[in-house]
Amino acid sequence: MENVSHPTPPPPPPSEGASGDALSLTTAYEPLVLMELIQRLKVRDVMTHSVVSVERCIPLWEAQRLMKEKHISGIPVVEEGRLFGLVSMEDIICAIEGGYIAQPCGHYMTTKLVVLEDDMPLSFAIHYFDRFHFGRFPVLNRDRLLVGIVCQRDINRALLDELSKEFSRMEKSVARTTPPDIGPTTYMLREFPVAKYDFENAGKAANAIKTAMLERKFPPKMVRRVAVAAYELEINLVVHSDGGMLTWQIGNGRSEVVAQDKGPGIEDVAWACRDGTSTANEWIRSLGFGAGLGLVNVKRVSDSFEITSKVGVGTTVRSIVNIGAPLEEQE
Amino acid sequence: MTVQDAISVLNAELIASGEGLLKKVNHIVASDLMSDVLLVDEEDMLLLTSLASDQVLRTAQIVGAAAVIVVNGKSLPSSMKKVAADLGMTLAIAKQSKFDTCIALHQRMTS
Amino acid sequence: MKLSEFVETTGFEVLCLPDASVMVEEGYTSDLLSDVVSNCPEDSVLITVQNHTNSIAVCTLVEAVAIVITHDREITKEMIELARQEEIALFRTPLSQFQATCVVASVLNGAIE
Repeated sequence: MENVSHPTPPPPPPSEGASGDALSLTTAYEPLVLMELIQRLKVRDVMTHSVVSVERCIPLWEAQRLMKEKHISGIPVVEEGRLFGLVSMEDIICAIEGGYIAQPCGHYMTTKLVVLEDDMPLSFAIHYFDRFHFGRFPVLNRDRLLVGIVCQRDINRALLDELSKEFSRMEKSVARTTPPDIGPTTYMLREFPVAKYDFENAGKAANAIKTAMLERKFPPKMVRRVAVAAYELEINLVVHSDGGMLTWQIGNGRSEVVAQDKGPGIEDVAWACRDGTSTANEWIRSLGFGAGLGLVNVKRVSDSFEITSKVGVGTTVRSIVNIGAPLEEQE
Repeated sequence: MTVQDAISVLNAELIASGEGLLKKVNHIVASDLMSDVLLVDEEDMLLLTSLASDQVLRTAQIVGAAAVIVVNGKSLPSSMKKVAADLGMTLAIAKQSKFDTCIALHQRMTS
Repeated sequence: MKLSEFVETTGFEVLCLPDASVMVEEGYTSDLLSDVVSNCPEDSVLITVQNHTNSIAVCTLVEAVAIVITHDREITKEMIELARQEEIALFRTPLSQFQATCVVASVLNGAIE
């Protein structure tokens, strides 16, 4: 008689993981680049897509042979894309000790599985490895079919890849901030990724912009205007957008702050720019934001203000302040 | 009245001391809505607020406030002390309500 | 102090005054409605910038008798209507929250000359 009853369905993700806030890597002091990265990358971006698997009727020794040949420490048991269980190195060792290595995988596989979904952010996967101490997690898609497998090595490799891309981009922009020869004008360019609902870090970019401008000895009145615009735009990205980028550039005596997001877009831009307009909920208000003054305030401190938005695409807000030269250059 | 004077009038607890501690207070702003604080065009203001969050300090830095006093004797999230130190912002906690804090400071300024 | 007297002395703009004989005893200054709920004393006047119907609801809850909206913030018909229904007096001033607080305190206590 074959013991092939359907395994218990994989348990749902643990509730504290589902909120995404219990991640050990996510502290207030992690670099923004890393935070943004582990939110932006999905499990499917880092997983191994071609999964070696066995069917339930395959004997355990065959699973053992495959594991040895492919240098893997666990094999999912799959039929027609459905995940039934997993045979791990430990299962094999037990089978050898217990003398049942010739029995089918379906009898002795592990059926209590913790799985990831392919569209979860990478931060979930990191959290799962912290929480469950498994060497690997099968990855299911929305139709609950097995589409990949993730081990810690996959995450390390993907993060290193992405970080190296990010660093070369940052190095390029640093290179651009140093003018080829020392002219009469200061040129600077900085980019700050901003994540949705990341209240802990909201304001850091504007703080950094203000500090940098004060260090370069720009007139304090001008610094304040730029800082206010940057702060409001940064908060807007946190509160209202699905995340985006705050770019700040100084050149030819002008400061330009651009907030560009990836959605959801604003239906009625004129309405959004009105005094007292707000779509913020009570929770956001309780944090002291969302009084509906944001864009009005940006406009107030800007010499030039532009907003373009498309529903489903995103919003770009540009604030220009004529700051003149640093006080030292004026002397 | 300097920030230090204000703190002693209120018998407030100093949590982080920055360069603003010795500054003269030119303007007092009482608000819990950070967008409102950003509307104020005064340097070296003293910000009185019932909001205890990192954003209060970040807002204060943006507008060049001399100090932040959190009222109602609120307990602060642990991150605030570090953020205040990072930004060089003076931070204190007053036990009184915002209403009573305003009155005490006004009396000190006009006496 | 009666609200009628309060209005006369402070000179605040009156948007709604359902009962001028109601007594106001204390003041409370806050924009955080959760804070108002937990700390605002009874029979007080709430000084806030929150030009929102929620402010009225919160006053009803803590049995505050009046609201002063600062910075001359725009006030909707809905807010005035709700104030009337809930019998909360609604005033407005161009003063800042700090200034309005000092004025209210001086009127209520004679604390400030």
